[in-house]
Amino acid sequence: MIQLFHVTKYYEGCLALSDISLRIEKGECVLLTGPSGAGKTSLLKLIFGSEHPDDGQILVQNRNIARLRRADVPYHRRTMGFVLQDFKLLPHRTVFENVALPLIIRGLSSFESRRKVIEALRAVGMEHKQPMLASVLSAGEQQRACIARAIVNSPIILLADEPTGNLDPQLTTEIAELFKAINARGTTVMMATHNRQVVEQLNGRVLRLDCGHLLSDQGAYT
Amino acid sequence: MKRLWYFLREAYISLRTHRASTVIGIITTAFTLSSFGTFLLLYHNVHNLIGRVQTNIQIIVYPNDAIEPQQLQGLKNAIQTEPAIDSVQVISKHDALKDFKHQFPDEAHLLEGLGKNPFPASLILNLTETIPSTDMVSNLVNRLQQNPNIERVRYNRAWIERLSLVITYMEIGALIIGGVLALASITIIANTVQLAFYTRQEEIEILRLIGGTNLFISIPYLIEGGVIGGLGGGLALAFLRGGFEFFKHKTHTLSVIGGFSSIFEFFPFSLSLILICGGILLGCVGTLTSMYGWMRFRL
Repeated sequence: MIQLFHVTKYYEGCLALSDISLRIEKGECVLLTGPSGAGKTSLLKLIFGSEHPDDGQILVQNRNIARLRRADVPYHRRTMGFVLQDFKLLPHRTVFENVALPLIIRGLSSFESRRKVIEALRAVGMEHKQPMLASVLSAGEQQRACIARAIVNSPIILLADEPTGNLDPQLTTEIAELFKAINARGTTVMMATHNRQVVEQLNGRVLRLDCGHLLSDQGAYT
Repeated sequence: MKRLWYFLREAYISLRTHRASTVIGIITTAFTLSSFGTFLLLYHNVHNLIGRVQTNIQIIVYPNDAIEPQQLQGLKNAIQTEPAIDSVQVISKHDALKDFKHQFPDEAHLLEGLGKNPFPASLILNLTETIPSTDMVSNLVNRLQQNPNIERVRYNRAWIERLSLVITYMEIGALIIGGVLALASITIIANTVQLAFYTRQEEIEILRLIGGTNLFISIPYLIEGGVIGGLGGGLALAFLRGGFEFFKHKTHTLSVIGGFSSIFEFFPFSLSLILICGGILLGCVGTLTSMYGWMRFRL
């Protein structure tokens, strides 16, 4: 599903990732851990296609991301979902409109969009909040809406960068449970997190990064 | 359909959110298009006026004095086959004398001592082209002069050349002024749209995050630029119409130019439409200019 071959990335001469090679299978739950600046976000960005590696190759569903043309990047992104720490919702749009956005981009019919949005909102327990503006939601609700938007296209891969970074422990548990449920449905989940609680709860494969180096690759958290 | 609705809605939201810059964009576009439109209006009317004056540009052909009436008719028929000639009017020696007596009755006595009619027969040629080129007229005159039955050809060469020159200068002027003003409009609209880009930067980032292509992201801004340009064009047209009517009223009451309303006219519908479409085009080009720079380096 996702393969990295000797991937190296620099930002203005500073090493972000060094010679990373790994293979992630379909349906896996992978947790990227390590201190700030370890290279977790860089790794996610490379897979997502928002950065190009300086060296090495990245295959996502047999497509070489390192050689992806600029015009093809959006289509690559449509095959995956991305959840960020700061939610990235449109504040003056309703929950429904925010979640429906990826479907509008894909050009789905109104009927199909409505069905999928309601399905995604139901999966995160936000069905009743669909007419509300995103700006009036609580942090936990905003993150749920963000997850709904990420899964509305039924992506094969779900990437998450510190999705619980802004949440209290109670909400963190709820959000982690959501990711667990999404992964249980067969979606490959790849999450960067500092949060030990999340790592324990998701009980996935743990990749430990530090200063751009892959220090360890454990099958499951122990 | 859902996409179209989305694009229109986004454009509307952007226009409404950035009301001040939208209004500034519309007004500045209207002013630049009004300046260009004023010139265009002037050009349009001068062009029309020249077209009318052209009907007075005539080539007069004087046949040999000894030409027989039948030969004169033959010459007329031969000249009429020229593609540049619209009509030929034959004035016989007798008609010329009659005209003189009619126009100058007090001078008729001057001819009394002459035994022979001194007036030559002539053929007055009217041209087909609205605005004849000097080359066209010169070539025609050269061909006529080679005819053995023709003694002399007279036409106002300087007048035609001057007319052609005026039209050429006006066309060059229209191109230069139009180009400069178009550039100014593009810059203004580009800045207005760029402002919208910067204020909605986060929204654009979100759209990229979820797989929006540059085209998808750009369409609402293109609509926005087109609306600003189109409204600017419409406003310019209103300014021009107002100015035209005011000028018409003033000249009428002051009797500055006799029969102004019958000589000058406002843009026909097609030119008005071109001005508005020009505004829309300028708006879209302005948006594209702004977007190209903004999106070039973003993945």
